[in-house]
Amino acid sequence: MKRVTNLLGVVLLLMALPSHAALQVFACEPEWASLTKELACDKASIFSATTAHQDVHRIQARPSLIARVRKADLLVCSGAELEVGWLPLLLRRAANPNVQPDKSGYFMAAEQVERLDIHTSVDRSMGDVHAAGNPHIHLDPNRIATVAEALTIRLIKLDPDNSAYYQQRSDNFLSRWQQAITQWQQQAAPLKGVPVVVHHKDWRYLLNWLEMTTIASLEPKPGIPPNANHLARLTQQMQQSPATMILRAGYQDARPSQWLSDRTNIPAIVLPYTVGGNDNATDLFTLYDDTLQRLLSALR
Amino acid sequence: MTFDGLDISILGPAFLAGLLVIATHVPLGQQVLARGIIFLDLAVAQIAALGVIIAYSLGFQGNSWQVQLIAISAALLGAWLLYLSEKYWRDVQEAVIGCVFVLAACGGIIALSSSPHAGEQLKDLLAGQILWVSYQQLIPVALLYAVVLGLWFSRWFNRARQKSPILFYGLFAITITTSVQLVGIYLVFASLIIPALAVRHASHNGLRAAYLLGAIGYASGLILSALLDLPSGATIVWTLALSAILTACIIRRCNKPA
Repeated sequence: MKRVTNLLGVVLLLMALPSHAALQVFACEPEWASLTKELACDKASIFSATTAHQDVHRIQARPSLIARVRKADLLVCSGAELEVGWLPLLLRRAANPNVQPDKSGYFMAAEQVERLDIHTSVDRSMGDVHAAGNPHIHLDPNRIATVAEALTIRLIKLDPDNSAYYQQRSDNFLSRWQQAITQWQQQAAPLKGVPVVVHHKDWRYLLNWLEMTTIASLEPKPGIPPNANHLARLTQQMQQSPATMILRAGYQDARPSQWLSDRTNIPAIVLPYTVGGNDNATDLFTLYDDTLQRLLSALR
Repeated sequence: MTFDGLDISILGPAFLAGLLVIATHVPLGQQVLARGIIFLDLAVAQIAALGVIIAYSLGFQGNSWQVQLIAISAALLGAWLLYLSEKYWRDVQEAVIGCVFVLAACGGIIALSSSPHAGEQLKDLLAGQILWVSYQQLIPVALLYAVVLGLWFSRWFNRARQKSPILFYGLFAITITTSVQLVGIYLVFASLIIPALAVRHASHNGLRAAYLLGAIGYASGLILSALLDLPSGATIVWTLALSAILTACIIRRCNKPA
């Protein structure tokens, strides 16, 4: 009995420790929770609103989400309209003045970098297109580095007492990250110019970085599920000029890529997409390691 | 287990929304049950959603009053059609309601096949999330529901309703179109049917018992979802059912001759 009480005491202590005086961070996606962890380590208590197995375009409302945003000192999200379906509602309900859009507690990663596919005019005939550009920026390691620098500055602004600590963690992370990028680029050399079919446009930055070629998309327009006509056209296109692989994220419907794979014998590859997307992708480094390994294995 | 969400300013508006829904849906639900048209709300909500899709294709945007007006008009039109089905095909009315539901749903899919943004809006319309509700949002709903309840319990309306059920269908359409956007289709269905089902054998005070069990269901569901970090709407559906089973057992014991 005494041991149980002791254990309970330790657990309670552990639960109480990180939230005490630490910077409260609310991350919308696991990749930003992971990046904040790299930069702030135990100086921040980090909560991720979604997991790798959820579609971040929409999530179910839980009381803890409102409670966490209410307590948050810093909000780290993708932005560029990715969370437009729920973040504005959540911010309004939580009514925390520190993390509203014009405050320094509001950090949108996609706003820190140059985005691809920015449309000056968006109309509904184009499908689910974000006017602010493609928001899935975390699959380009160079953009991650830019976001890391901006996030460090933000952490220092919010918690100046620990500025030396953040700067040191940031320098350390960036030097390891640059080394990793060099290594990844060497590994990925055979992928250059390889033609692929994607499910959704969420691989835009990854393929842009690796200089792979997107020759088709399973969705006829972004956000619109594949239909019979489009799939038939794709099959025909694959017979004339086949792609090397079909890419999708773990949370997306497996059926369209499997359908095309069965008919064309092109391998369908499931990538982790974000931290936690499979057992190997436990942080940003292993996310890229695993992604590259899977892409390379499809070449063999 | 987490106590973070256990905060009256987080759960308060949601609970109030629940009380508003219960207040109107319990008496409507008793009617629905008596008429044996359980899936009326699904059909009417789906028709309202179809109306919204048409509103978007006509160029109306966002959550404007025009969109609301079109949604309610579509729901009223649908309710009128379903009233006609009661009048002319009484014996197969439930089947007709089911067909109207799939037709409206599939009509929506066809209309949306080229417009995913409208798809998002449509999902919002059918899957309102009770936790996102704010007090300001509840004011117009409370006013509307006060009118609905005032009419429902007035002697004049009851006499008119006996003569022509179209009044019931109309009131039902307006109430459902509002509540679905507030708390979502699952909670609307549960609030309508579950309490009414639990008190159907109550000899007296049935309505009061249904109100009480509804309030308990919403309160315990919200608290449970805060403690266990679960999606609130789905949790409330389950606590409503549990609370209803408990109530039905109590009513049964009371009804037994001593």
